[in-house]
Amino acid sequence: MALDLDAMLVKISERQWALADIDWEAPGAEQISAEQWPGLKAFMADLVWIENVGARGFAAMARMAPTETLADIYRYFHAEEQRHANAELALMKRWGMLDGDDLPEPNVNIRMAIEWLDRYADDMPLSVLGTVIPMLEVALDGALLKFLLDEVHDPVCHQVFEKINADESRHLAVDFQVLEMLGNARLRRLLIESVGKTLTPGLLIGALMYIPLLNRMRNNIVGMGLQEERLYAAMHRFKNVGERSSGTRRVPTYQVLKWHADMVVNRRHPYHLLANSMVWASDRVPARIFGPIPTWFKELTSEPVAVETLPAAVAS
Amino acid sequence: MTRPKAVTPHTTVIIGAGFAGLGTAIRLLQSGIEDFVILERGSRVGGTWRDNTYPGAACDIPSLLYSYSFALNPEWSRGYSGSAEILGYIDHMVERFGLLRFIRFHTTVTAATFDAAAGVWNVETEDGTAYRGRTAVMAAGPLANASLPDIRGIDTFTGVKIHSARWDHSYDFAGKRVAVVGTGASAVQIIPELAGVAAQLTVYQRTPGWVIPRTDYRTPWWTKQLYRRMPTAQRAAREGLFWVHETMALGMVWSTPLTRVIEQIAGAHLRRQVRDPWLRRQLTPDFRAGCKRMLVSNDYYPALQRPNSKLVTWPIATISPDGIRTSDGIERQFDAIVFATGFDITKTGTPFPITGLDGRLLADEWRHGAQAYKSVNVSGYPNLFFTFGPNSGPGHNSALVYMESQIEYIVRATKTIVDRELLMLDVRGHVQHQYNVRMQERLKHTTWNSGCRSWYLTDDGFNGAMYPGFATQYARQMGELRLADYVVTARSGKRSDDTEHVVELPRRRLPAVRTLERTRNARVPHR
Ligand SMILES: Cc1cc2nc3c(=O)[nH]c(=O)nc-3n(C[C@H](O)[C@H](O)[C@H](O)COP(=O)(O)OP(=O)(O)OC[C@H]3O[C@@H](n4cnc5c(N)ncnc54)[C@H](O)[C@@H]3O)c2cc1C
Ligand SMILES: [Fe+2]
Ligand SMILES: [Fe+2]
Repeated sequence: MALDLDAMLVKISERQWALADIDWEAPGAEQISAEQWPGLKAFMADLVWIENVGARGFAAMARMAPTETLADIYRYFHAEEQRHANAELALMKRWGMLDGDDLPEPNVNIRMAIEWLDRYADDMPLSVLGTVIPMLEVALDGALLKFLLDEVHDPVCHQVFEKINADESRHLAVDFQVLEMLGNARLRRLLIESVGKTLTPGLLIGALMYIPLLNRMRNNIVGMGLQEERLYAAMHRFKNVGERSSGTRRVPTYQVLKWHADMVVNRRHPYHLLANSMVWASDRVPARIFGPIPTWFKELTSEPVAVETLPAAVAS
Repeated sequence: MTRPKAVTPHTTVIIGAGFAGLGTAIRLLQSGIEDFVILERGSRVGGTWRDNTYPGAACDIPSLLYSYSFALNPEWSRGYSGSAEILGYIDHMVERFGLLRFIRFHTTVTAATFDAAAGVWNVETEDGTAYRGRTAVMAAGPLANASLPDIRGIDTFTGVKIHSARWDHSYDFAGKRVAVVGTGASAVQIIPELAGVAAQLTVYQRTPGWVIPRTDYRTPWWTKQLYRRMPTAQRAAREGLFWVHETMALGMVWSTPLTRVIEQIAGAHLRRQVRDPWLRRQLTPDFRAGCKRMLVSNDYYPALQRPNSKLVTWPIATISPDGIRTSDGIERQFDAIVFATGFDITKTGTPFPITGLDGRLLADEWRHGAQAYKSVNVSGYPNLFFTFGPNSGPGHNSALVYMESQIEYIVRATKTIVDRELLMLDVRGHVQHQYNVRMQERLKHTTWNSGCRSWYLTDDGFNGAMYPGFATQYARQMGELRLADYVVTARSGKRSDDTEHVVELPRRRLPAVRTLERTRNARVPHR
């Protein structure tokens, strides 16, 4: 059934929330056990950055959206992913996981993703980002967040993720609607687009960046005690939702990602040898090859009220 | 409703004392029509330039061109004059041509109804007084109404709210935390001014526009001297500027290689002034140049990059008691919010009920977008004229150049009605229809209809605002009053389509155009 994107846009604009809606000092922070703490810290840091990477993806998609409504929706999603990252940072702050006001260090694979997004994302066809993003969102929503809620008993954390999940359910609805639309776009155009435009150096580099990013995430969460099956179930969901729609199945990038997902969920597939060696290799990438961190990356904050506009007395 | 006074009607009732209403008055006077009245809801003349007094307010078309050719002003102090100087120019015109005695201030028009039997427009006003005119001129301005935008939570804000067109000059911005919502033509003028004064300036942008550099200059004394002594020199300079702007139409009205050139100029301006790639991206428009009003500024980008400034491009989620919350979940707190959010534009209606023949209501006919014939007349509404009417807006040239063409047309038609003792001059429905079919067809190929959202378009994408062509083309179309296009009804009751007789219009020339300087000596017609 087709989703009414105009109605969705109205709904999105009505469901906005802010960090200030949450009492970050409420009791419950002590629910985080000492043994949980280090793993959770690493996990949250990844999560923050992945939200931020997703945000940048939506920013690119807003530029390529075929209609004003969809562009507006993506503008919201761009901001909402940023909001998730901000809220997760605020949680980290609550749990004493931030050194002063410093943001956690992004890992190498995140840095690579950032570089890639900054260089290529704005020029990618919608069919590429429109497929990768749902995949990431399904993985986040279906596996990571649910796992987090099972493990962490701080009520503020639950309050935050309830809001985030509500946002994400709208993201997924739109993501899959767009996949469907992409598939229904005239086949010829799609083919031209995917052969002519998709196979660019940008995309190849993107794939090289995406593979270790996913595997590092997988390794990190498995390290925290997440059953891999959870992640795989999420991947299956990506497949299943896609299979139900004839349009989606026709999107070449979707087919590629599905094939990729199949390899990811097969633990014995030689793919993991490749992927894990890429993680290993990326750890050895010298930091100096990266350009300066783009300024959009520094817009993150754990402060519900921006410090720059606080009255002098409060801000100091 | 009070009955209209049974006095003899005026020749013309003009609604609005902005550039358009006053310009019409001057040309009526010069053509010998002195029996008119100007109704103005405000307490002074000037319209746009009375209302827009925000810091930095100025025209973005050179003053030489943003002025009337029949009232040249040799005294412009700069290339692009500020609002106070423009308002001074308007006051000067009012004084020179003795217009004050025609104006009824504090008179808000609430309705206009055509009395077909008498061939008279009844114009009702808020205080109950009614005015009657054989013709009526709607010069109420396209951008005359401004109100705070409908943003969630706006009423909860406890700080100061200021609309750019209703500036609060008593508020001192020094040391304050200030937000500016909007990045259009007014905002890019306000922001550099406030950035220098406020402690913290945060700018909320929805969509970035194309910004081209501005070549402003102080007029050297000798130029003024020259213009004073030799109006022809000023006329020549004006002519030169006119053609520069006409050329711009090639890039701004239609998507052509010149559009790319304009975009490249704007792009280079952005790259030169903004170093950070992400900020640059935030400020890069995603529509063709010309699709929305071009912004003209040298100090807007630098103002955004001052240490105390910040550009926020997240959607506004809500206004809170202390500030503005955006969708990234963050609140910013302010002492004052400036709304440079534009105007309440009636693209699909009329500012007050206008009733024509057989009780028809103009707002009904314009429900899906405003339409007129040559932007001045609407079929079924005889003897009614619009300035800045449907499809009369320029994207590349001075509004006043277009207005002059309309005014000449209106004055000529009014003279015809008076001289020929006409009851009604009503444009034929099919003529208007054909005109609009052509208009919309031509609009399809313009940049305005190339896919951006702007105030030129209705929600359905109908463009009832802009004229798809050169000012020269527009002037040519307005230069001719074809009576064959109208149903002409004489007071004697003879109708042009009854008799198939078309009244020939004598190609009468209006009195020669004058400069302010000359009219100072010329006798201004009194009474
Ligand atoms: C900030 C700003 C800058 C601009 N800069 C330029 C520029 O550089 N170049 C350019 O070409 N154009 C510019 N414009 C466009 C500008 O609107 C026109 O150039 C011109 O000033 C319009 O004149 P007007 O007489 O049609 O309308 P206005 O100046 O708006 O006058 C209309 C008058 O009618 C009165 N009125 C309205 N309704 C009623 C009523 N019901 N009863 C009685 N009176 C009523 C109003 O009070 C007002 O005085 C600018 C506009 C703005 C807002
Ligand atoms: Fe998210
Ligand atoms: Fe999401």
